[in-house]
Amino acid sequence: MNDIAVQFEGVSKKYAHFALDNIDLELPAGSIMGFIGANGAGKSTTIRILMGLVRQDSGSVNVLGHPMPAQQAAAKLDIGFVSEDMRLYGTATVAWHMEFIRSIYPRWDQPYAEKLLQRFDLKAQQKVKGLSHGQRVKAALLLALARRPRLLVLDEPTTGLDPVARHEVLGELMAVLADEERTILFSSHNTKDVEQISDVITFIDRGKIIDSDDKEIFLDRWRRMRLVLPQDTALPSLPGVIDVGGSTRLPVLTVSRFEPAMVSLCQDMGVTVNAVDPMTLEEIFVANVQCRRETQAV
Amino acid sequence: MNYSMIKILMFKDWYLQRWSVAASLLGGVVALGIVCTGGNAAFFMGLLLLITCLIAVGAQLAVATMVNERKEQTLAFVMSLPISYREYTVAKLLGTLLVFMVPWLVLVLGSLALFAVPHGVPHGLLPFAIIMSTEILVSTCLVVCTALVTESQGWTVAAIMVGNIAINVIGYFVAHVAGIAKGMGGSTVSWSSAASTVLLSEFALIALFLILTFFFQSRKIDFL
Repeated sequence: MNDIAVQFEGVSKKYAHFALDNIDLELPAGSIMGFIGANGAGKSTTIRILMGLVRQDSGSVNVLGHPMPAQQAAAKLDIGFVSEDMRLYGTATVAWHMEFIRSIYPRWDQPYAEKLLQRFDLKAQQKVKGLSHGQRVKAALLLALARRPRLLVLDEPTTGLDPVARHEVLGELMAVLADEERTILFSSHNTKDVEQISDVITFIDRGKIIDSDDKEIFLDRWRRMRLVLPQDTALPSLPGVIDVGGSTRLPVLTVSRFEPAMVSLCQDMGVTVNAVDPMTLEEIFVANVQCRRETQAV
Repeated sequence: MNYSMIKILMFKDWYLQRWSVAASLLGGVVALGIVCTGGNAAFFMGLLLLITCLIAVGAQLAVATMVNERKEQTLAFVMSLPISYREYTVAKLLGTLLVFMVPWLVLVLGSLALFAVPHGVPHGLLPFAIIMSTEILVSTCLVVCTALVTESQGWTVAAIMVGNIAINVIGYFVAHVAGIAKGMGGSTVSWSSAASTVLLSEFALIALFLILTFFFQSRKIDFL
């Protein structure tokens, strides 16, 4: 069995007004990757390449041991895909869709599908055109989950959902996580959703992967340091400072490689460390993106 | 080639388009009934309705199964299934054309049956009827292939217009080809080499449309 579920090596794809640039990405089997980027950052293009729906200009993509897009049919037999812009057939019922998918996937789990139907409060005989957006997403998720895929690819599934529907969708995903064999790629611009379920985080911006690491490491190494500088004292030079805000006397440093030793280093230089605040994933993402964009602008 | 998946997708389109097919069959049967009432006016009215029903169902199938697949964002759902783009192309082409051939065959056979009715349609019209029935199939092939390759409503509407004009132009042309026109009013079937040439050209055109479709589809690199 291949331990790497998804592997991108030097993948590039150029459009008239957007380019995916030299993407390297590894998703170990059994892990849950949160794929975060602003709108238009390249998340959907990356996912479409992963699914074999868009052919990369250069580089190689391997999904569940299959080179893409050449062996996309074989790979997709083990993939459950739900995308924000994916629609089901409006004139057909939920039950018809379930039967349709069941006829394709030999691992279709009917009792689980019926359990999900109840949990998502969906009516099997209801036509898809009569469903709300939230119900349509839940129906698509049901169809993806009940086929028992080895890889679940979710492209902005919670976008446009009301809080209750979002809670239900995320709740079901959390339940799915109990299956340690399953690999999940979850893309979103909503960092809170991603933070809840992911154990690996990858940031993408303007077609480039800008950072990728374990979620806990991300949350551990990013800090906001609130300092008090004595008069005529220069700001100490610390590693991994990506932004300096606040005032000259009361600077606030955003640090991407925080270590407790940095606090004692500041104190040794006569600088008071007022607080070392943890950052949310959203704050980390925004700081990361801004830093990269400023670097690019220079 | 995953024939099982192709079959499943073809049945899916058949299921989703069953009411369009049923409506065209109903319209076609009504048209044949009008022809049966006798008289020149009824003959032309019935014929017009019959051709309209066939053209309409062909256009509806192309738009609903291909153009709308992209427009209504169901293409992402279909392409997430274990299928390659080549298999998708085969399923769409074969599926749509076979679904179309259900009302086409029933109505063409129904029309041909009118030749068997005593004092019905003059038997000399049979070659013309066969050529024009095949022309409707050619026109539908053009529309289906255009819809599949372009996935665009605009181009598909243009193909529908070209197909309709072609039916009229070919009809006029065939009716004036000496070898075919000569026997049209007669009471016996007179199959000429000109009729064979026109019919073979129509089948060659269908083959050309299908080959070109596979060629253009194989050059696509983005499927969504």
